[in-house]
Amino acid sequence: MNGARLALIALVGALFLLPLALSDFWIFIAIEVLAFALYAISFNLLMGYGGMLSFGHAAFFGVGAYAGGLLVKKAGLTSLAAFALVMPGAMIAAALVAAAIGFFSVRRSGIYFAMLTFAFQMLLYTVALKATGLTGGDDGLTGLRPPGALAAPANYYYFALLWVLPSVYLLHRLVRSPFGLTLRALRNNPLRVQYSGVDIRSHQLITFVLAGAFAGLAGALFAFSSGNVFPGWLNWTASATPIVMAVLGGVQSFLGPALGAAVYVLLEVTISGSTEYWPLFMGIIIMLLVLVMPRGLAGLLDRRRP
Amino acid sequence: MTAADDVLAVDSVAKRFGGVQALGGVTLQVRRGEFHAIIGPNGAGKSTFFNTLTGLITPDSGSVIFEGRNLAGFAPHQRVRLGMGRTFQITRVFPDLSLLENVQVALLAHDRLTLSPWRDASGHRPADARALLERVGLAVPDYQPASTLAHGDRKRLELAITLAGEPRLLLLDEPTAGMAAQERLESIQMVHKVAGELGLSCLFTEHDMAVVFSVASRISVLVQGKLLITGQPEEVRASEQVQRVYLGEAVIEQGAG
Repeated sequence: MNGARLALIALVGALFLLPLALSDFWIFIAIEVLAFALYAISFNLLMGYGGMLSFGHAAFFGVGAYAGGLLVKKAGLTSLAAFALVMPGAMIAAALVAAAIGFFSVRRSGIYFAMLTFAFQMLLYTVALKATGLTGGDDGLTGLRPPGALAAPANYYYFALLWVLPSVYLLHRLVRSPFGLTLRALRNNPLRVQYSGVDIRSHQLITFVLAGAFAGLAGALFAFSSGNVFPGWLNWTASATPIVMAVLGGVQSFLGPALGAAVYVLLEVTISGSTEYWPLFMGIIIMLLVLVMPRGLAGLLDRRRP
Repeated sequence: MTAADDVLAVDSVAKRFGGVQALGGVTLQVRRGEFHAIIGPNGAGKSTFFNTLTGLITPDSGSVIFEGRNLAGFAPHQRVRLGMGRTFQITRVFPDLSLLENVQVALLAHDRLTLSPWRDASGHRPADARALLERVGLAVPDYQPASTLAHGDRKRLELAITLAGEPRLLLLDEPTAGMAAQERLESIQMVHKVAGELGLSCLFTEHDMAVVFSVASRISVLVQGKLLITGQPEEVRASEQVQRVYLGEAVIEQGAG
């Protein structure tokens, strides 16, 4: 058994033991880390592996969160058993929206792709803001709580962990699979992939939908720990979060973005607790980290590559 | 006329870009097993012609028939699946992937497995991928990223990627572009040998007359979007029209030498 595998087992073990050592406040932070780790990894499937820089990934996080909230509040999936359907429901909703947005967006590449994802996201933001009857408008959806025993922070943490760990495992299989290898090739040279006999638009669209579905899951998981969903989750500024997390952690490594998410969330919590100018300090710290570590935090840990 | 032994039959293909008639009705056949060169001055329409064959450009009129099948409406990747492989003037490989992975991507595409989401890609036909790298004469360790390759080796790698699709027709756009004179001849002779071993037909564009005359079984001359002549190398060399186009005999004579 090699060192990396041992470290991984230790990490998963630690994740299961974590709630025993934490207060409720920090358990909520841990849930946030889990959700954003999945969010950042899903984003990196697009950017790091596929070379598709999306400026609108928050759309799927937000749609997942709203879908989860609405399934409980409006569709009445309030029992513990019914709650099991909420996460798949949020994933499906986010996947459907990603399919619609992706259908148009993957026809362009580079900055035009980015602009299309940006534009569609602003459209959804407006809907969340104005469709007051459904989304609660400016006030968002509030009072979201997981049912029954899951309302206890530690229990909801385990619930989230049991969604996030298999998702991360699936995504890890995916990036090493023929699908993932083709995706990396696509980032390098789309035309060469096309002239190897691959329908590259379909490949990119499927990637976009998968990334959207897992972002949706992350959004729904986070919604029930934060207790509410606001239109701001869909705003374009929210789409910077996964970009910063992925770059901070390192886009060239699979778990890098998860590491970036953890550091980002912890920084935010510690700094925002001590100063109201926390975005300023966040900005300075992230700037320094990126300047010192161009390959991200994961680049420091991985000494195999120069 | 479409003979049974024509792999590719192009009939009256025309393409206009705005006010420019890039292709003015080109008719040309590639016979099975031949090594067919397209030459012509810059701007003659060689690239447009190539992109028309491979599906990047839709011609205004005319037809392209591959092994008896009209390719109208076939997307580039579908043409590849039918058995038309191509390389690019500006070499296209996957710099971040290892040499082996470069070829494995193409093998996976050929085997229609690129959507497979679960099994490990590194296990896909590594021996076949290595055999292809060997066939094109790449003696570099196959775990190296392609970004480390010199220009000539990148061309070889791109050929290996193309061959992984088991094409029956090779379309090579300026296969020796960017190489030194001696390297060019070696390179085209390697391609010629490989195509012969695999029984492939080949259509290629080329600037260097020495390269053209060293391997071409037939030559077509494209000038201002029109085909001037198609013939054996001796016929083309002897053609006064061709000599006029190339401003005297100098270029062709050089090529013969």
